[in-house]
Amino acid sequence: MGINSAKLGAVLQNFATGTSDVQGVALVTPDGLPLASSLPGGMDEERVSAMSAAMLSLGERIGTELTRGGIDRILVEGEDGYAILTSCGQDAVFLVLASKSAKQGVLMLEIKRAVSELKLLLI
Amino acid sequence: MEIMRLVVTGPVGAGKSTFIRSVSEIEVVDTDRRATDETAQLKAKTTVALDFGRLQFGPDMALHLYGTPGQFRFDFMWDILIRKAHAYIMLVPANRPAEFRNARRINSFMQQRSAVPMVIGMTHMDCEDAWEMENVAIALGYLDLSKAPPIVTVDAQDPASSGQALMAVVRQLMQAHLKPRH
Repeated sequence: MGINSAKLGAVLQNFATGTSDVQGVALVTPDGLPLASSLPGGMDEERVSAMSAAMLSLGERIGTELTRGGIDRILVEGEDGYAILTSCGQDAVFLVLASKSAKQGVLMLEIKRAVSELKLLLI
Repeated sequence: MEIMRLVVTGPVGAGKSTFIRSVSEIEVVDTDRRATDETAQLKAKTTVALDFGRLQFGPDMALHLYGTPGQFRFDFMWDILIRKAHAYIMLVPANRPAEFRNARRINSFMQQRSAVPMVIGMTHMDCEDAWEMENVAIALGYLDLSKAPPIVTVDAQDPASSGQALMAVVRQLMQAHLKPRH
Protein backbone atom coordinates (compact mmCIF):
# COMPACT_ATOMS: atom_id res chain seq x y z
CA MET A 1 0.00 0.00 0.00
CA GLY A 2 1.80 3.08 -1.17
CA ILE A 3 -0.97 5.58 -1.56
CA ASN A 4 0.40 9.06 -1.67
CA SER A 5 -2.04 11.05 0.45
CA ALA A 6 -0.29 14.32 -0.14
CA LYS A 7 -0.59 13.85 -3.88
CA LEU A 8 -4.24 12.81 -3.63
CA GLY A 9 -4.89 15.90 -1.56
CA ALA A 10 -3.10 18.07 -4.11
CA VAL A 11 -5.14 16.69 -7.01
CA LEU A 12 -8.35 17.34 -5.10
CA GLN A 13 -7.27 20.84 -4.14
CA ASN A 14 -6.38 21.55 -7.74
CA PHE A 15 -9.70 20.28 -8.95
CA ALA A 16 -11.64 22.27 -6.37
CA THR A 17 -9.88 25.54 -7.10
CA GLY A 18 -9.32 25.03 -10.83
CA THR A 19 -12.84 24.04 -11.85
CA SER A 20 -15.35 26.84 -11.85
CA ASP A 21 -18.43 26.45 -9.64
CA VAL A 22 -16.98 23.52 -7.71
CA GLN A 23 -17.48 24.12 -4.01
CA GLY A 24 -16.09 20.97 -2.49
CA VAL A 25 -14.67 17.55 -3.26
CA ALA A 26 -13.98 14.39 -1.35
CA LEU A 27 -12.46 11.03 -2.10
CA VAL A 28 -13.72 8.27 0.16
CA THR A 29 -13.53 4.49 0.51
CA PRO A 30 -16.55 2.41 -0.58
CA ASP A 31 -17.22 1.66 3.10
CA GLY A 32 -17.40 5.35 3.90
CA LEU A 33 -14.06 6.47 5.26
CA PRO A 34 -12.32 9.66 4.13
CA LEU A 35 -9.22 9.35 1.93
CA ALA A 36 -8.77 13.02 1.09
CA SER A 37 -11.03 16.02 0.83
CA SER A 38 -11.39 19.71 0.31
CA LEU A 39 -14.78 20.64 1.68
CA PRO A 40 -16.59 23.87 2.53
CA GLY A 41 -16.26 24.90 6.17
CA GLY A 42 -18.83 23.36 8.47
CA MET A 43 -19.04 20.10 6.54
CA ASP A 44 -17.84 17.14 8.51
CA GLU A 45 -15.49 14.98 6.46
CA GLU A 46 -16.47 11.77 8.17
CA ARG A 47 -20.18 12.33 7.70
CA VAL A 48 -19.77 13.36 4.09
CA SER A 49 -17.74 10.21 3.47
CA ALA A 50 -20.30 7.89 5.04
CA MET A 51 -23.13 9.54 3.10
CA SER A 52 -21.27 9.24 -0.18
CA ALA A 53 -20.66 5.55 0.35
CA ALA A 54 -24.26 4.87 1.36
CA MET A 55 -25.64 6.75 -1.62
CA LEU A 56 -23.38 5.10 -4.16
CA SER A 57 -24.02 1.61 -2.81
CA LEU A 58 -27.78 2.14 -2.94
CA GLY A 59 -27.47 3.57 -6.44
CA GLU A 60 -25.46 0.60 -7.61
CA ARG A 61 -28.00 -1.69 -6.07
CA ILE A 62 -30.77 0.09 -7.94
CA GLY A 63 -28.68 -0.27 -11.07
CA THR A 64 -28.62 -4.05 -10.77
CA GLU A 65 -32.08 -4.72 -9.27
CA LEU A 66 -33.86 -2.44 -11.68
CA THR A 67 -31.66 -3.56 -14.58
CA ARG A 68 -30.01 -0.22 -15.30
CA GLY A 69 -26.60 -1.82 -15.53
CA GLY A 70 -23.40 -0.50 -14.01
CA ILE A 71 -23.63 2.97 -12.53
CA ASP A 72 -21.55 5.75 -14.06
CA ARG A 73 -22.58 8.43 -11.60
CA ILE A 74 -25.24 9.54 -9.19
CA LEU A 75 -26.40 13.09 -9.42
CA VAL A 76 -28.36 14.87 -6.73
CA GLU A 77 -29.82 18.10 -8.01
CA GLY A 78 -30.93 20.49 -5.32
CA GLU A 79 -32.23 24.05 -5.36
CA ASP A 80 -28.79 25.30 -4.41
CA GLY A 81 -26.55 23.02 -6.38
CA TYR A 82 -25.36 19.57 -7.32
CA ALA A 83 -23.80 16.65 -5.53
CA ILE A 84 -22.23 14.22 -7.97
CA LEU A 85 -20.91 10.82 -6.99
CA THR A 86 -18.64 8.93 -9.32
CA SER A 87 -17.09 5.55 -8.70
CA CYS A 88 -13.31 5.85 -8.84
CA GLY A 89 -12.03 2.35 -9.35
CA GLN A 90 -12.69 -0.42 -6.84
CA ASP A 91 -11.28 1.37 -3.85
CA ALA A 92 -12.71 4.86 -3.96
CA VAL A 93 -15.71 7.06 -4.51
CA PHE A 94 -15.36 10.61 -5.76
CA LEU A 95 -17.80 13.28 -4.55
CA VAL A 96 -18.11 16.71 -6.13
CA LEU A 97 -20.25 19.52 -4.78
CA ALA A 98 -21.01 22.22 -7.32
CA SER A 99 -23.12 25.35 -7.34
CA LYS A 100 -26.31 25.67 -9.36
CA SER A 101 -24.57 27.85 -11.92
CA ALA A 102 -22.20 25.04 -12.96
CA LYS A 103 -22.38 23.90 -16.56
CA GLN A 104 -23.15 20.20 -16.32
CA GLY A 105 -21.31 19.19 -19.47
CA VAL A 106 -18.10 20.89 -18.41
CA LEU A 107 -18.43 19.50 -14.93
CA MET A 108 -18.83 15.92 -16.14
CA LEU A 109 -15.81 16.21 -18.38
CA GLU A 110 -13.71 17.67 -15.60
CA ILE A 111 -14.83 14.91 -13.27
CA LYS A 112 -13.93 12.27 -15.83
CA ARG A 113 -10.46 13.75 -16.14
CA ALA A 114 -9.99 13.99 -12.38
CA VAL A 115 -11.16 10.41 -11.89
CA SER A 116 -8.62 9.01 -14.34
CA GLU A 117 -5.90 11.03 -12.63
CA LEU A 118 -6.99 9.84 -9.20
CA LYS A 119 -7.21 6.22 -10.31
CA LEU A 120 -3.54 6.26 -11.21
CA LEU A 121 -2.67 7.42 -7.72
CA LEU A 122 -4.74 4.69 -6.12
CA ILE A 123 -3.10 1.72 -7.78
CA MET B 1 -52.61 -5.90 4.00
CA GLU B 2 -50.86 -4.26 6.89
CA ILE B 3 -47.17 -3.52 6.58
CA MET B 4 -45.08 -3.38 9.73
CA ARG B 5 -41.67 -1.83 9.45
CA LEU B 6 -39.14 -3.30 11.83
CA VAL B 7 -35.66 -1.92 12.23
CA VAL B 8 -32.80 -4.25 13.11
CA THR B 9 -30.01 -2.28 14.73
CA GLY B 10 -27.00 -2.83 16.97
CA PRO B 11 -23.23 -2.42 16.98
CA VAL B 12 -20.83 -3.76 14.34
CA GLY B 13 -20.72 -7.54 14.08
CA ALA B 14 -23.85 -8.17 16.16
CA GLY B 15 -25.39 -10.17 13.31
CA LYS B 16 -27.90 -7.71 11.85
CA SER B 17 -27.40 -8.64 8.19
CA THR B 18 -27.22 -12.34 9.06
CA PHE B 19 -30.44 -12.03 11.05
CA ILE B 20 -32.30 -10.47 8.15
CA ARG B 21 -30.97 -13.06 5.73
CA SER B 22 -32.15 -15.80 8.09
CA VAL B 23 -35.75 -14.64 8.23
CA SER B 24 -36.39 -12.93 4.92
CA GLU B 25 -38.52 -14.68 2.33
CA ILE B 26 -37.16 -12.60 -0.49
CA GLU B 27 -33.58 -12.27 -1.54
CA VAL B 28 -32.21 -9.63 0.79
CA VAL B 29 -31.31 -6.24 -0.60
CA ASP B 30 -27.95 -5.54 0.93
CA THR B 31 -25.38 -2.79 0.57
CA ASP B 32 -22.25 -4.61 1.69
CA ARG B 33 -18.88 -3.09 1.00
CA ARG B 34 -15.42 -4.33 1.80
CA ALA B 35 -14.51 -3.14 5.30
CA THR B 36 -11.36 -1.06 5.61
CA ASP B 37 -11.71 0.21 9.18
CA GLU B 38 -11.31 -1.75 12.42
CA THR B 39 -14.38 -3.72 11.32
CA ALA B 40 -12.10 -5.57 8.90
CA GLN B 41 -10.59 -7.50 11.81
CA LEU B 42 -14.02 -8.90 12.52
CA LYS B 43 -15.44 -9.52 9.07
CA ALA B 44 -14.68 -8.85 5.44
CA LYS B 45 -17.78 -6.89 4.52
CA THR B 46 -19.89 -4.28 6.21
CA THR B 47 -23.29 -2.68 5.53
CA VAL B 48 -23.02 0.92 4.35
CA ALA B 49 -26.63 1.93 3.75
CA LEU B 50 -29.22 -0.66 4.71
CA ASP B 51 -30.39 -4.24 4.43
CA PHE B 52 -33.92 -4.97 3.39
CA GLY B 53 -35.87 -8.17 3.84
CA ARG B 54 -39.50 -9.14 3.85
CA LEU B 55 -41.56 -11.71 5.70
CA GLN B 56 -45.22 -12.57 5.36
CA PHE B 57 -46.70 -12.82 8.82
CA GLY B 58 -50.15 -14.36 8.72
CA PRO B 59 -52.62 -13.63 5.94
CA ASP B 60 -52.87 -9.90 6.41
CA MET B 61 -49.58 -8.73 7.78
CA ALA B 62 -46.21 -8.32 6.11
CA LEU B 63 -43.05 -7.47 7.97
CA HIS B 64 -40.55 -5.24 6.28
CA LEU B 65 -37.16 -5.58 7.90
CA TYR B 66 -34.64 -2.78 7.67
CA GLY B 67 -31.11 -3.41 8.92
CA THR B 68 -28.93 -0.44 9.81
CA PRO B 69 -25.17 -0.08 9.50
CA GLY B 70 -23.36 -0.52 12.83
CA GLN B 71 -20.77 2.26 12.70
CA PHE B 72 -21.51 5.69 14.09
CA ARG B 73 -20.48 7.45 10.95
CA PHE B 74 -23.67 6.08 9.39
CA ASP B 75 -25.96 7.55 12.04
CA PHE B 76 -27.88 9.47 9.35
CA MET B 77 -29.11 6.06 8.17
CA TRP B 78 -30.22 5.19 11.71
CA ASP B 79 -32.15 8.43 11.75
CA ILE B 80 -33.82 7.82 8.38
CA LEU B 81 -34.79 4.26 9.25
CA ILE B 82 -36.02 4.67 12.83
CA ARG B 83 -38.34 7.54 12.02
CA LYS B 84 -40.68 5.31 10.04
CA ALA B 85 -40.27 2.18 12.11
CA HIS B 86 -43.13 0.57 14.02
CA ALA B 87 -40.72 -1.30 16.30
CA TYR B 88 -37.08 -2.21 16.52
CA ILE B 89 -34.81 -4.94 17.75
CA MET B 90 -31.32 -4.15 18.95
CA LEU B 91 -28.87 -7.00 18.57
CA VAL B 92 -25.99 -7.05 21.04
CA PRO B 93 -23.00 -9.40 20.70
CA ALA B 94 -22.80 -10.87 24.22
CA ASN B 95 -19.20 -11.94 23.77
CA ARG B 96 -17.81 -8.49 22.98
CA PRO B 97 -18.21 -6.24 26.03
CA ALA B 98 -16.43 -3.41 24.24
CA GLU B 99 -19.54 -3.08 22.08
CA PHE B 100 -21.98 -2.68 24.99
CA ARG B 101 -21.20 1.01 25.24
CA ASN B 102 -21.85 1.41 21.52
CA ALA B 103 -25.11 -0.51 21.84
CA ARG B 104 -26.16 1.81 24.62
CA ARG B 105 -25.36 4.81 22.49
CA ILE B 106 -27.33 3.42 19.55
CA ASN B 107 -30.26 2.73 21.85
CA SER B 108 -30.35 6.24 23.25
CA PHE B 109 -30.06 7.61 19.70
CA MET B 110 -33.15 5.59 18.75
CA GLN B 111 -35.11 6.51 21.86
CA GLN B 112 -34.49 10.19 21.36
CA ARG B 113 -36.21 9.92 18.01
CA SER B 114 -38.83 7.30 18.50
CA ALA B 115 -41.03 5.85 21.22
CA VAL B 116 -41.82 2.61 19.41
CA PRO B 117 -41.62 -0.73 21.26
CA MET B 118 -38.30 -2.52 21.22
CA VAL B 119 -36.66 -5.81 22.08
CA ILE B 120 -33.05 -6.58 22.89
CA GLY B 121 -31.62 -9.62 21.13
CA MET B 122 -28.44 -11.10 22.57
CA THR B 123 -26.34 -12.78 19.92
CA HIS B 124 -23.18 -14.88 20.09
CA MET B 125 -24.48 -16.40 23.34
CA ASP B 126 -22.93 -19.73 22.35
CA CYS B 127 -19.45 -18.22 22.50
CA GLU B 128 -17.33 -19.20 25.49
CA ASP B 129 -16.72 -15.64 26.61
CA ALA B 130 -20.34 -14.53 26.31
CA TRP B 131 -21.65 -12.49 29.21
CA GLU B 132 -24.73 -13.46 31.22
CA MET B 133 -27.95 -11.83 30.10
CA GLU B 134 -28.41 -9.96 33.41
CA ASN B 135 -24.94 -8.50 33.22
CA VAL B 136 -25.39 -7.35 29.66
CA ALA B 137 -28.67 -5.70 30.67
CA ILE B 138 -26.84 -3.81 33.42
CA ALA B 139 -24.10 -2.80 30.98
CA LEU B 140 -26.81 -1.45 28.71
CA GLY B 141 -28.16 0.67 31.54
CA TYR B 142 -31.07 -1.52 32.65
CA LEU B 143 -30.26 -1.95 36.32
CA ASP B 144 -33.71 -3.24 37.09
CA LEU B 145 -34.64 -6.14 34.82
CA SER B 146 -38.35 -5.70 35.54
CA LYS B 147 -38.16 -2.29 33.88
CA ALA B 148 -36.03 -3.44 30.97
CA PRO B 149 -37.48 -4.21 27.56
CA PRO B 150 -37.83 -7.92 26.74
CA ILE B 151 -34.44 -9.56 26.26
CA VAL B 152 -34.19 -12.62 24.07
CA THR B 153 -31.36 -14.86 23.00
CA VAL B 154 -30.87 -15.01 19.24
CA ASP B 155 -28.78 -17.20 17.02
CA ALA B 156 -28.81 -14.95 13.96
CA GLN B 157 -27.65 -17.80 11.74
CA ASP B 158 -30.60 -19.94 12.71
CA PRO B 159 -33.90 -19.09 10.99
CA ALA B 160 -35.96 -20.63 13.82
CA SER B 161 -34.17 -18.71 16.55
CA SER B 162 -34.29 -15.48 14.54
CA GLY B 163 -37.97 -16.06 13.84
CA GLN B 164 -38.65 -16.40 17.55
CA ALA B 165 -36.92 -13.12 18.24
CA LEU B 166 -39.06 -11.55 15.56
CA MET B 167 -42.14 -12.97 17.28
CA ALA B 168 -41.07 -11.24 20.48
CA VAL B 169 -40.90 -7.94 18.62
CA VAL B 170 -44.33 -8.46 17.06
CA ARG B 171 -45.75 -9.36 20.46
CA GLN B 172 -44.40 -6.10 21.89
CA LEU B 173 -45.91 -4.28 18.97
CA MET B 174 -49.32 -5.86 19.51
CA GLN B 175 -49.29 -5.05 23.21
CA ALA B 176 -48.38 -1.46 22.51
CA HIS B 177 -51.31 -1.29 20.09
CA LEU B 178 -53.73 -2.72 22.64
CA LYS B 179 -52.85 -0.28 25.39
CA PRO B 180 -51.33 2.93 24.12
CA ARG B 181 -48.76 4.18 26.59
CA HIS B 182 -49.83 7.81 26.53
